[in-house]
Amino acid sequence: MVEFRNVSYTYPNGQQALSRINLKIEDDEFVFVVGANGAGKSTLIKLLLRELTATEGEVIVNGFNLSTMKQRKIPKLRRTIGVVFQDFRLIPNMTVYDNVAFALRVIDAPTKYIRARVPYVISLVGLTQKAKSYPNDLSGGEQQRVALARALVNDPQLIIADEPTGNVDPARSFEIVDLLKAINECGTTVLMVTHQHDLVRYFGGRIININTGAVVFDEVIGGADEAK
Amino acid sequence: MRLNSFKYLVKQGFAGLWFNRVNSFASLCVITISLLMVGISVLVSFNITQMIGAIEKRNEVMVVILDGTPDNNVDLLGEQLAQNPNIFEVNFYSRDEALAGMQETMTEDEKAYFASYIHNNPLPDTYRVRVTDISKLSETVKQIQQLEFVESVQAPNDFASILTGIRNVCAILFSAITVALIIVCFVIISNSTRASVYARRREISIMRYVGASKSFIEIPFFVEGLVIGIVSSGIAFGLTWFAYTEIFKMLSTDANVFSIFGLSAIIPFESIALKTGLAYLAFGIVLSAVGTVVSTRKHLNV
Repeated sequence: MVEFRNVSYTYPNGQQALSRINLKIEDDEFVFVVGANGAGKSTLIKLLLRELTATEGEVIVNGFNLSTMKQRKIPKLRRTIGVVFQDFRLIPNMTVYDNVAFALRVIDAPTKYIRARVPYVISLVGLTQKAKSYPNDLSGGEQQRVALARALVNDPQLIIADEPTGNVDPARSFEIVDLLKAINECGTTVLMVTHQHDLVRYFGGRIININTGAVVFDEVIGGADEAK
Repeated sequence: MRLNSFKYLVKQGFAGLWFNRVNSFASLCVITISLLMVGISVLVSFNITQMIGAIEKRNEVMVVILDGTPDNNVDLLGEQLAQNPNIFEVNFYSRDEALAGMQETMTEDEKAYFASYIHNNPLPDTYRVRVTDISKLSETVKQIQQLEFVESVQAPNDFASILTGIRNVCAILFSAITVALIIVCFVIISNSTRASVYARRREISIMRYVGASKSFIEIPFFVEGLVIGIVSSGIAFGLTWFAYTEIFKMLSTDANVFSIFGLSAIIPFESIALKTGLAYLAFGIVLSAVGTVVSTRKHLNV
């Protein structure tokens, strides 16, 4: 569960990025966060990952109160969150398998578990045949699926996807969101930040629109895929 | 931490060394040179101390025994002198030996002239003592003066203060060089770590996002630093061994050096090889590993 209670954030240079945000995202929800550049979406994500601490109010993520959290507890919080970025952030000199396994290795998971879990998650994103390939040999859509597998591999409660379709061609964008939807149906909360309104209109669901640091719209809309 | 994870991190450290091989090589060279300079400066300092010590030991303090002191009291005085912690050698030099010694330096005419005027030996019995620490000479002289049956004490006080001064200046100079080189090493390690962190920023940022602990992120850098430290100290030790032995050989063939300072003036490498090796290893490891950890914390901000 994610909760923002009266959250404001002002950067050290005085620029206010978020102002009195109140939000609650329940477990198992799928939420689109939309908004123009500079609206405060990135700040929102940084607050969720505890890269930044709210200057006012409280941020609660998966039972952690991020406003009072000690620095040394941050890794624990992040192990409950999977993150997917627009630029994939894969390690170029590691194979698909190693990129996914990396997320488990760094949290000191047992080798046996890694050997069983990684191929399973790679199969979920449909890349079993490419497990030994390097990121540069893959298309944008495939790279993003590797990033998704990496986010998924340690079974997070929440997946934050920061414009995951930004570097992917339109047809593949729908596949990525389909995958996120499938993950969500398995019980993982998904928060997807996007600029692509066609995707939002197509899939529908809860839409949160942020503008100049405030939530200006928070409604559930019906999607075109449901009409089919 | 699991053994497999530890192995993985160590492997990552070695991979990092290879990945940043130009930087690693530069760090290795600079740390080796710094270690060499510190090592050489310490060894030179040891040798200078040893040389000064050799000169100090040649200095004799003459304790003139009161005329007419009974033999058993002379012996007692000898024992008292030997008990002084700063005295390592006590030799009795009788008035007859002194006279014989004086006559050895005279011509036959002088001897005849001397014998015609002086019938009784006018020279006193003396003890000639050598002190361990010349910087405490005046204190030791005072202690001797307070002993019974001592008429006077003759000591080379000026010479002692010059030697002590030289030794102090050397100690300060070499300490300053050592401290300066340690600082240089830290700066270089810090820069090298920064470059290494920069080269792996993508991996580090992913590690952070997936919840890697601080130590997990730092260990590969620590391994890198450790390996550089160990290899540097090995190279520095080898070079020191070679250079020191060659210089020792050169000086051994030059009779003047030994005639000035004595045979034990230069310490043979064999007698300090183990200590030097261990010091290099400890210094290299501490410097590189601690330097890496400190600068990793600074540059990683994890």
